[in-house]
Amino acid sequence: MQTLFDSRMTMADFIAALFDKLEVAGVAAITKLPSGEKTAYTLLADKDDIEDCVPYFPAMPANAARAVSKLTREAPPSKQVAVFLRPCELRALTELVKIKQALLDNLFIISFDCAGVFPFQEISLSDEAKLKAYRDAVADGKNCEGIRPVCNACTRFVPEGADIAISFIGRGLDEPLALSFPSEKGKEAAKILGLDSSDNVETSPALETLAEARKKAEGELTKKIEETLAGTDGLISVFDKCISCHACSYACPICYCKNCYFDSQTFEYFPESYFARMGEKGALRLPVDRVLFHLGRLSHMSLSCVACGMCEDVCPVNIPVAQIFKTAGTRAQALFDYIPGKNPDEPLPLLTYAETELEEFED
Amino acid sequence: MTALDEVNMDNEVSMNKGIWIEGPVKKGILEFFSGLLSSKKVEAVLMPAKNKSKDSYAWFLMGKDGLLESAEPFPPVMTTQGARALSYLTKKGTAWKKTAVVLRPCELRATIELAKIKQVDLNNLVLISFDCPGAYPLEKYFNEDQKELDEIFGACLSEQVELEGARAVCSICHRFTGRGADIEIGLMGGEAKGFWLIPGSGNGEELLEGVSGSKPDNLEAREKKIAEATIQREEKRNNTLDSFRETVMGPENLMNTLSSCINCHNCSRVCPICFCRECYFDSKALSSEADNMLQRAQRKHGLRLPPDLLLFHLGRMTHMSISCVSCGACEDACPANVPVSMLFSLAGRNTQAVFEYEPGRSIEEPVPYKVFRFEELKDFETPYTKEYAKEQ
Amino acid sequence: MADNGMEPKIVAFLCNWCTFTAADLAGTSRLKYEPNVRIIKVMCSSRVDPVFILKALLDGADGVLIGGCAPGDCHYSKGNFYARRKVALAKKLAESMGLDSKRIRLSWIPASEGPLFARVVNEFTESIKQLGDNPTKREVYI
Repeated sequence: MQTLFDSRMTMADFIAALFDKLEVAGVAAITKLPSGEKTAYTLLADKDDIEDCVPYFPAMPANAARAVSKLTREAPPSKQVAVFLRPCELRALTELVKIKQALLDNLFIISFDCAGVFPFQEISLSDEAKLKAYRDAVADGKNCEGIRPVCNACTRFVPEGADIAISFIGRGLDEPLALSFPSEKGKEAAKILGLDSSDNVETSPALETLAEARKKAEGELTKKIEETLAGTDGLISVFDKCISCHACSYACPICYCKNCYFDSQTFEYFPESYFARMGEKGALRLPVDRVLFHLGRLSHMSLSCVACGMCEDVCPVNIPVAQIFKTAGTRAQALFDYIPGKNPDEPLPLLTYAETELEEFED
Repeated sequence: MTALDEVNMDNEVSMNKGIWIEGPVKKGILEFFSGLLSSKKVEAVLMPAKNKSKDSYAWFLMGKDGLLESAEPFPPVMTTQGARALSYLTKKGTAWKKTAVVLRPCELRATIELAKIKQVDLNNLVLISFDCPGAYPLEKYFNEDQKELDEIFGACLSEQVELEGARAVCSICHRFTGRGADIEIGLMGGEAKGFWLIPGSGNGEELLEGVSGSKPDNLEAREKKIAEATIQREEKRNNTLDSFRETVMGPENLMNTLSSCINCHNCSRVCPICFCRECYFDSKALSSEADNMLQRAQRKHGLRLPPDLLLFHLGRMTHMSISCVSCGACEDACPANVPVSMLFSLAGRNTQAVFEYEPGRSIEEPVPYKVFRFEELKDFETPYTKEYAKEQ
Repeated sequence: MADNGMEPKIVAFLCNWCTFTAADLAGTSRLKYEPNVRIIKVMCSSRVDPVFILKALLDGADGVLIGGCAPGDCHYSKGNFYARRKVALAKKLAESMGLDSKRIRLSWIPASEGPLFARVVNEFTESIKQLGDNPTKREVYI
């Protein structure tokens, strides 16, 4: 566990300090939109614009790793930019760095222990009752009602690999920020912010209790999904409503391909093929390869799936995509003892091998 | 480029042909298709049917022995846009076997637009459409009592009244009949006692030969009813779009309308007209370096990431609004409940008017971008020549 | 032998250098083996994307065989180590998503082992016969 420091700063003070003391050229975080209802992940380059910044607002209108990838992929910033990421977004970013879709140069990564988010359609700035319940849940270290099922079952809600990590759970969103500085870059920052061992505070025991609750929820979710996915019939019924819009892959931070394999010519067939297949089965459902898309996408990204839940948020026909992908992903990752986003130096499982391993898969 | 004056846009429908079939509509239609298949007039039918869990609809290509009992020529929702389904089938060539395709009127129009841009091959296809009462929003259909909704839909279909609780864009649809199809299934004016099969082309006539039914005696009454309803609905459409326009006028209102948009581009992925495999707005053309984005953020007091949200919507309008058939697939697929289909219907109405173009009206009518007249659109030129001549 | 009259369709992805050569050798040696495999030659077993395997299974293949050089003998020195990881992933996903992972088989068959190829094919065909038809074969709603 990292040492925590009482910064005696509010979130606003902290963001101001990023500009003033750490001399960042920009901050990217969830920010209120002028409409006063919704939020968006926004890059701010001026200290005077930070008023509407609400990094902990419980919605994920876009996976921030995807946003950071867009920001840095062509060329990283020439000056420091501070980016706020939820733990799952940070893990996604680490995976994206491994596949060269984002660059970390000059990024100052700030993360926080995350109590989960609501589906983005279901929360806006004026939902006071929901936000109050959320604040209370954070302060008490409990799961808030109404957050997404994958958030509810997320056991990796404490950030790994940030430069500065903020601790909210068990403390509250409105208290002065408790910070830890896991990286070298972070430790430098602690010095600049003037924090030393006299500012140390205890880690909240609520983190442990929440971790247990989450673990239990994860077990229940896995069980539920495994039951629905039993056999070919289960597989078909789960994706029966799918309209093949591929929104899940577009919102997925890991699915970075500009031209998805499943939208490519490979999966466009000549009319002869469609009619021949109709002849075999009597009838052919169009578009074809609907279930294959999901299985194939799993084979492409499940090892890096961070269970951020974006896919489920954007699904127009309410398929529990994220819960399915989290369950299948966790099992696939266990095969290679791999935890996506945990260690930036660990190679992707399919890009490495050991000479003696997995012999149980040979016949 | 072709000069537009050379194109023949004759699209008259023969008025006195057709067959009246008495009895329950859906049963009659399915029998009609079953007859077509067994007499080998067509060898396949593409139409929606219920999915396995019976809680939604999907497109099925059905052969002689595969006409599904759960086939549903008039589904209460639009899951995949029919033109898109047809494009999957024929994008790479002519349908292998003669295929009858049942489409909603807006799907039919989209099909014709796609044929113009070579994403659908119309050869070997018989297009069949019907008088459509509208469709429910997908979200509504999945979250409310489906049985009840199905009943309401059935009643609206046979009574030929507008569907209660239909999608916004359906409630302002003014091209609600199957006109332009090879065979038009006529329900309006039939007083729920049966339906007409009206050929719209030689192809359709051929298919209807030998189909048993009576000669239509009241087609004129139908025409009159359609004409009346069309005028009414056109007025409603224009009024609704005009008042919608008030709410999106000006950059601030437009941004507020789009404020819940998360830039996921799903509207373009389900749009039948947006056929590009790699969308321009996802391409490298619009990606930029971090420093550039920082500058934009500074200048505009914040830059939303991913950027270019407004450009995406406006740009997509420039690419497809002229062909927009107001099918509403975009709004159904929008995870953020942005009124995309209203926005695009509004843009489409106005851009189509410039070229007096109506998407899907006729396959002979070329896409406005691909043709020109020598003398046209003078309103859009800045008349500087007179002043210039004076100075000389 | 389980004789339920079933003639399974097995898609076999064989590497050019070892297993395909072994299949060729089995043929030229006039070894008899079950006629149920449809062979697709790939340059290396690591060319087999898990999607190929899943696509075959969803489109109604009763079994998928992936054949490559024995570990350490890969023509490209380490391709088959990657192949093993990919097949392991495909099996795990198939199992997680309600498909039968016993329909996927990975076997290393060196070029000189015509008889081994025949034996693997016979064995696999037999085990697929015991599993019966792949339910995806006649499934309209997939």
